[in-house]
Amino acid sequence: FAGLADVSISEDILVEGEITVPVGSRSLDEDYSTLDEPVRDTILRDLKAVGKKFVHVMYPKKSSALLRDWDLWGPLVLCVSLALMLQGGSADSKDDGGPQFAEVFVIIWFGAVVITLNSKLLGGTISFFQSLCVLGYCVLPLTVAMLVCRLVLLAGSGTVSFIIRLIVVAAMFGWSTLASTAFLADSQPPNRKALVVYPISLFYFVISWMILTFTPQ
Amino acid sequence: RHPLATFFHLFFRVSAIITYLFCDWFSNSFVACFVTILLLLSFDFWSVKNVTGRLLVGLRWWNQIDEDGKSHWVFEAKRVPTIAASTEAEARIFWLGLIICPVIWTVFLFSTLFSLKLKWLALVIAGISLQTANLYGYIHCKLGGQTSIGRVNSRFFVTADAPKRQARRMSEDHIEEHGKTGTR
Repeated sequence: FAGLADVSISEDILVEGEITVPVGSRSLDEDYSTLDEPVRDTILRDLKAVGKKFVHVMYPKKSSALLRDWDLWGPLVLCVSLALMLQGGSADSKDDGGPQFAEVFVIIWFGAVVITLNSKLLGGTISFFQSLCVLGYCVLPLTVAMLVCRLVLLAGSGTVSFIIRLIVVAAMFGWSTLASTAFLADSQPPNRKALVVYPISLFYFVISWMILTFTPQ
Repeated sequence: RHPLATFFHLFFRVSAIITYLFCDWFSNSFVACFVTILLLLSFDFWSVKNVTGRLLVGLRWWNQIDEDGKSHWVFEAKRVPTIAASTEAEARIFWLGLIICPVIWTVFLFSTLFSLKLKWLALVIAGISLQTANLYGYIHCKLGGQTSIGRVNSRFFVTADAPKRQARRMSEDHIEEHGKTGTR
């Protein structure tokens, strides 16, 4: 590796990418000779990647972490927690808000798929799963809003609580839309950006509406 | 050779199926069953894709996005020089588990449709997609195994996420593009 002599990578240069297992039966055995250790490493690495993406959503700036290292764990966790929080409460009866739970799920995933198809049909360069990843991760501010709303509703459900909830949900809706637009709009040609942004804001608007109109039984 | 991997390969899939069939015995709550089965299916997908395929049959598939944002699906197969009896048994278990479970979930799909218990439909469709994705990926690896090794040989990526990994290789392409500047 003569060409490596003058190349150095220091810890603070951000190098991102995906780990590819070195090919060759010998090296596959070398790296993964025990089951426990590499699985733990793999799990930790994936967890750290998910955590990094959450941070990137809260402070959206141009970064390729969300885009290149896509994964759908974050969206799954957010979707499940949002759907759980949108439940009415009585878990004993047969009819315990089951359809509502599946509804939230279907709305989020189907909505994300439709937006992705829309952006691809408009000639976007981003791949299917990358787009799903970004849209799913950007549900995080709305999940936080749901949490805040539930806490506010514990205190009371009058006009004041409604105004507080309205402000919080509106702010988080704006944050979600801005965050996802920051990542997705760049992959479109400039005259198509609005065509891509409006379904995204509609999607988050529907979720915000579900959050705002939630009243516990 | 890998009893734990074999166990986990089957554990998540079979638990998901059993939970789906007997969810009424475990809990009255639809939500709890839904979330449990979904989590089991997700863990199964991740472990089969990332761990058991690699360990039991030496196959691996993944998606990588290169510099210009194009996504490639890579299918890799390890060349196995000798086949011991234990690895044959493990491979058989692997493939049986991989093929039978999506078939079972497809049966569930039809039973859900015909008995009109539509609230389970989302879950069954998720189950089918996850399991069929793994099946398709591994079949693609198996069939295209010979040709893909040469291509994958020249693509190693360094990541800063795992500084403790012993094997760090540099991509030759990246050396040529960025070697002069010394940084990436």
